[in-house]
Amino acid sequence: MMFSCIPSYGLSGLTGLSIQIEVDISNGIPSYDTVGLPDATVKESKERIRSAIKNSGFDFPPRRIIVNLAPADQRKNGSLYDLPIALGILAAEGQINQDKIKNIIVLGELALDGSVRKVSGILPMVIDACRLNPGQYFLVPYENAPEASVVNYANIIAIHHLKEAVDYLNGSLNIEPYPSINWNEYDAAQSIYDFCEIHGQQGAKRAAEIAVAGGHNILLIGTPGSGKTMLAQSLVSILPKLTFEEALEVTKIHSIAGKIPSKTGIINERQFRAPHHNASTPALIGGGTYAMPGEISLAHYGVLFLDELPEFRKDVLEALRQPLEDGTVHITRASAHATYPADFMLVAAMNPCPCGYYGSRLTQCKCTPTQITRYRNRISGPLLDRIDLHIEMTEVGFSDLTSKATQESSAAIRERIENVRFRQRERYREENILYNAQLNNQLIQKYCKLNTASELLLKQAFKKLNLSARAYYRILKVARTIADIFDAECIQEEHVAEAIQYRSLDSKYWARERI
Amino acid sequence: MRDFTSQERLWLWLNSVTAHYIKKFHLILEQFSDIEEVYEEAHRKNESAFHFLDEKTRHKLFHSATEEYINQYVRWLNKHEVDIVLQTSDNYPALLKEIEDPPAILFIRGHLVPNPTLPIAMIGMRNCSDYGTRITKQLATGLAEQGATIISGMARGIDSWASRGALDCKTSDYPTIAVLGSGVDVIYPPENARLYYEIIERGAVISEFLPSTQPHASHFPVRNRVISGLSRGVVVVQAGKRSGTSITVNYALDQGRDVFAVPGQIDDIHSVGINALIQTGSAKPIFGISDILEEYGFYPEEPLQIQPKKIDLFGLNDMERSIVEQLIKGERNFDELCELLSYSPAELNSTLTSLEFSEIIKQLPGRIYKV
Repeated sequence: MMFSCIPSYGLSGLTGLSIQIEVDISNGIPSYDTVGLPDATVKESKERIRSAIKNSGFDFPPRRIIVNLAPADQRKNGSLYDLPIALGILAAEGQINQDKIKNIIVLGELALDGSVRKVSGILPMVIDACRLNPGQYFLVPYENAPEASVVNYANIIAIHHLKEAVDYLNGSLNIEPYPSINWNEYDAAQSIYDFCEIHGQQGAKRAAEIAVAGGHNILLIGTPGSGKTMLAQSLVSILPKLTFEEALEVTKIHSIAGKIPSKTGIINERQFRAPHHNASTPALIGGGTYAMPGEISLAHYGVLFLDELPEFRKDVLEALRQPLEDGTVHITRASAHATYPADFMLVAAMNPCPCGYYGSRLTQCKCTPTQITRYRNRISGPLLDRIDLHIEMTEVGFSDLTSKATQESSAAIRERIENVRFRQRERYREENILYNAQLNNQLIQKYCKLNTASELLLKQAFKKLNLSARAYYRILKVARTIADIFDAECIQEEHVAEAIQYRSLDSKYWARERI
Repeated sequence: MRDFTSQERLWLWLNSVTAHYIKKFHLILEQFSDIEEVYEEAHRKNESAFHFLDEKTRHKLFHSATEEYINQYVRWLNKHEVDIVLQTSDNYPALLKEIEDPPAILFIRGHLVPNPTLPIAMIGMRNCSDYGTRITKQLATGLAEQGATIISGMARGIDSWASRGALDCKTSDYPTIAVLGSGVDVIYPPENARLYYEIIERGAVISEFLPSTQPHASHFPVRNRVISGLSRGVVVVQAGKRSGTSITVNYALDQGRDVFAVPGQIDDIHSVGINALIQTGSAKPIFGISDILEEYGFYPEEPLQIQPKKIDLFGLNDMERSIVEQLIKGERNFDELCELLSYSPAELNSTLTSLEFSEIIKQLPGRIYKV
């Protein structure tokens, strides 16, 4: 028989796509053709396959070879079909037992010497294939095995070399399925910074705790060197721990982007993504020919840190608005479309003015009022609308005081936050939301009722601080979170009073007084 | 519509050629018996009569010496409501006449009172602090209420606040004059447009530069001599180490004007220049407007000195009192308060809000609080 068929898998966005690889070998002038909408990487596989087969001690048939990737109307891309095609050729030649390959999904890239290299996107494929057929066998590169073994009802056969694969399929070599990992092993995830390493900045730390507790987006404002970046990085350490389902979803996205740590195989901590401010819209939102996930999806369930927010291109920032609202992003390209989750906490940072020293006691600000206004106006109102807390960092280096307060560790803060999050989940069980930041105006009126005293205080705030109308709902939401932190059923006056402190950009004292 | 006299028309013509270069203006004028002769010779394009001038100026002079040119110029001035006053006119400010090289022509928008009772200039830093803003406004309003006219350069910072403070005085009809370093019709800095029109409404914006001249760094020192020249005293509010302010102060001292200085903290970058003035004895330190007025024989019924703010500590609760007591010693930012007063950030946040609303304390950018 000069024909073989091997199952493999492909991806369209986050969903899998079953692919059959058919190889036919016939007599005639030696040639090699790949059909079924292959892209350049798949076409190029011919040379890799030829060398790999030869260098593994097999014969590459000097005949007419046709490779078909079915279904023929779907585009195939990536190097993951090297291994199945090579095995298909060998099977068609009769060098491998045909029966054995019918039920095992094969994925992997080949090196010229026949060794198998890792590929991206394994996890979503395994999850998808196992949903249809639990207990499915997979033949995957060894480096991808930890990632694939996250799915504990899949049988993962990890191989290093083409020869190994052939021997396994012929039954001369026995490989046990890769042990599936235990989620609890990854409990000890550590982030780069701990909150106890940040000295001073009590106000900002408090605000950060509120933000994380209620899932609010934040904007950090401060002079250069005031610790905005460090605070943002340590936020990851106080975010509630990832659940297994969440981790799986995050890992899936990273798998597509080919960004899985090969050791652990699963992403077990919340991600901190900090794209540089010259990032393009596709880089941030996702896109490209194959509609790949962008930074916002890689930051799913984690923190997206945009340092120097006003330096980002305006169209890039505006593109953030829809994902911030929905928690997902739809990417459509001519040849591909995908929907990726993008439920992240936005942490933006900016200087108070172009030179950075407005409000500094150490360095004189050199900016004119017009420059400052122009700088601030680069952040549009609708985007600012989606940021609940504006945190002003205090300047470091001026103070004559040395910090003597003992600093709380991230673990302690995280524990508090888990409790507050739990309280919110309980309250909003019927509303299909998880935390306060997701409240819309209607729900705010239902859940953020004020008593007379706090109502009065808020009215006063509007008059005195010249707050904008949009600040009203933001303050209510934040006050709700503060009340939750204090385990209070109703929002009290002091909760509103504290929330008012986090609206710097809305109040007039922040913009220079108009002459 | 204002009709310009023939004298004014000829001065405008010659000035349009020499611009604000006063020496050149007088150099040409001195070569002839009167300005009519200058015009006649230029009109006839008599090269030998103007041999002392460079080619470019001579060309400009000959080219513009036509009735048509002057008519066009005058029409433009009328259209843009720009008035002029000649150095020789009785309406020219008498104090300004005294200085060396007074401007030949002042371009005016608004109404210029030639000889106000007490013209006082207020100058200072562009990047002034909150203290500077506050004191400038208080002094300007107070002085204007006592009948003084506030002269300033309408620059950013102290200058603008001086004009604003003067305009805040409702009892004076013409409380302020702004002297620009650009053409009288050019608003600089642009954010002062509102202020500019208010000054025209209740005072005058003047300039010696030709209309439509754009601001230039070299113009401001030239302009500064007019600011001090127009006034009897110059009040300096805040000045950095090296600044345009010191140029004005030097002019003022040369012109024999009084210089007053508002003292500042010695470790404050905004007060370096000012405290140096006090130390060298070139300026009189002042604590309020009485100190200025008494120099000119004005003795207001009640002493008008600026007093430190009094705070009633008894109406406050313990926490509020401890915060206020701390802030009386000096401004503090949020984290310093946290360190000093072992309250939690949450308590501190809400108490600060309520103190802010009672207008006992004020928040500045960078989460700095002060009483």
